[in-house]
Amino acid sequence: MWPGGPVLICAILVLAGCDGPQSVLAPGGEDAFVLANLFWFLLAGAVVLWCAMNGLMFYVTRINPRELSERGAQALILWGGIAFPTVVLAGLLFYALSIMPEQRAEGDGGLRVEVTGEQWWWRVAYWPEGADEPIISANEVRLPAGSRSEITLEADKVIHSFWVPSLGGKSDMIPGRTNRMSLAPTVPGLYRGQCAEYCGESHAKMAFTAEVLTPEDFAAWLDAEAGPAVPPDTALAREGRAAFFAEGCGACHAIRGTPAHGRVGPDLTHLASRATLAAGTLPMTGEALARWITAPESVKPGALMPGYDHLPPERIAAMAAYLEGLE
Amino acid sequence: MKIDPRSVAATLAALAVLGLIGAAAVVFLGLFNVSAKKGHLPGVSWVLHTTFRNSVDLRAPPVSEAPNLSDPDLIGLGAKHFNAACRVCHSAPGHGRTATMLSMLPQPPHITDAVGHWTAPELHWIVHEGVKMSGMPAWPAEREDDVWAVVAFLEEVGSMAPERYDELTGGIGADPETFEYCASCHGANGVSGNQQIPRLDILSEEYMTRSLASYRESDRDSGIMQHASSEVAPEKLSEFARRFAEARPEGEAALTDRIESAGAQLATMGSGSDVPACVACHGPWSEPLSEAFPSLSGQYAPYLAAQLRLWRAGRRGGGEVAELMYQAARDLDDAEIDALAAYYAALAPAKLNPPDAP
Repeated sequence: MWPGGPVLICAILVLAGCDGPQSVLAPGGEDAFVLANLFWFLLAGAVVLWCAMNGLMFYVTRINPRELSERGAQALILWGGIAFPTVVLAGLLFYALSIMPEQRAEGDGGLRVEVTGEQWWWRVAYWPEGADEPIISANEVRLPAGSRSEITLEADKVIHSFWVPSLGGKSDMIPGRTNRMSLAPTVPGLYRGQCAEYCGESHAKMAFTAEVLTPEDFAAWLDAEAGPAVPPDTALAREGRAAFFAEGCGACHAIRGTPAHGRVGPDLTHLASRATLAAGTLPMTGEALARWITAPESVKPGALMPGYDHLPPERIAAMAAYLEGLE
Repeated sequence: MKIDPRSVAATLAALAVLGLIGAAAVVFLGLFNVSAKKGHLPGVSWVLHTTFRNSVDLRAPPVSEAPNLSDPDLIGLGAKHFNAACRVCHSAPGHGRTATMLSMLPQPPHITDAVGHWTAPELHWIVHEGVKMSGMPAWPAEREDDVWAVVAFLEEVGSMAPERYDELTGGIGADPETFEYCASCHGANGVSGNQQIPRLDILSEEYMTRSLASYRESDRDSGIMQHASSEVAPEKLSEFARRFAEARPEGEAALTDRIESAGAQLATMGSGSDVPACVACHGPWSEPLSEAFPSLSGQYAPYLAAQLRLWRAGRRGGGEVAELMYQAARDLDDAEIDALAAYYAALAPAKLNPPDAP
């Protein structure tokens, strides 16, 4: 076999990771394009330099091996070792610094999304322009394409980091202070975000979906999101609703339009409209909901939600049916 | 004289073997007489008693851990528990010691003498830890706070008149096979009138049955209730729980502005992102609640505060639902616990799902 074969196979496998919903190399927003360009520019430059250096090495050792005069050597060090790197690095520094203000750009004054890092999930509050109170959601960030939304970042107890690689750079979330950034997505679609700062046992299971919608779709969605929950109307779901309230779930969770207004855990008002459960850890299915309610620790080590494995499975299945229908 | 190390070693080894043979003979051939009639060899009593006194001195907790020991409710609770669990060996004010008590070795002192010169922390240590090989049992629970009730009683018992003792305890305890046994502390209608003894008229049969089972299985920690529930036949427990559950709570709310401003927000809304809203499980709540949860409306504040501190410390126990409450209480601070206890105590006594609710 040609010796480069395994290398090529490995390269193909690794490069497959460059695409997908969570990749800096598959940008879906202005900020991510700038960062991707920076990467490609640096990569191209690095390839040119690598070839030049190795070419030079090949030339002086194989093609024309001879002793350099002292003057020639000094000139090579001065030009090749000092002047050339200074110019190249200064140019790169200038380029990198020039894109920084863009990364800190102000939002366009429309939407502000306030994201709070919890253990281990995301509290999300949408503040449309002129809003008096936010529209609360969790574990999902939806943004309109074509405008620059302001993102404010907070943390409850420990440091987290907010990162949607396909939409832009990352920013730390620090307890006791508010960090800010902005995102200007351009390509509608589903992306994935992830906590990028180790924050405890279930750090690896602290993800979220970021969905970019056309401005019209976003407006319609936000309108629906602001409204109260529309409970499913089946016998099982009604039984599940009664169980949800009887077992005290409303102490920690809020469902707008019901007496449940807890603030400890994620808001569940439109739970079923989210793509994932438990901060990007499980699919949004009745089965997964039942599994989560029964034993959260088995899904996410250290999860603060207590398990309800003392309840009969039918009661949990009914609860899941209720929650699964909260569109 | 020249000493040969080898003969020294051989002599010591021979003595050790002889000693072991002697000890084995005492243990396996029954040569030691364990009769309580015989008493101890001269000097042994002194060695044992001095060891006991110094051991207690060394290990007693700091006095700062004691609550207010002159609280009449605390004294009342301690007296009732003493009457049920300790009187059998230590007798009671106004009563002599029985011939059986006098035939024990060591003889349990009459309670009015037993307290002697011991300080409150020393009494606490003795009651909680018990005394090895003396017949004095350890407290049946790991928990230490409920021992102070007995200590509060012991602080007074040295000079207690028989009439006072009978007034505190109701005299000779009721038969544990009867409801009166439970009612002697908790009241016939579930209202004890003693702030240290929880009222049961607001609770459900399911919750009380579960609690009693937890006490019996040592899954809920209380020296007082673990003793009481183990005196009652298991099959009687749910019957007694039902009797209390049938009571209709009565009484008015006693909310003041101060109590309400401190506790209402916390109870109904929780606190920040750490403390869930109490009412969603414990009422008052607009939706029917699981009977596995206790109603707290009208419950006595000292009892509630003590329980919340146990929850916060992760030591309360009480069956499989307990996990919920550990999560709920772990971020409460002392001021919040006192505010919540005062708030719930001031609500009108009510069941979790009042029968006349819409």
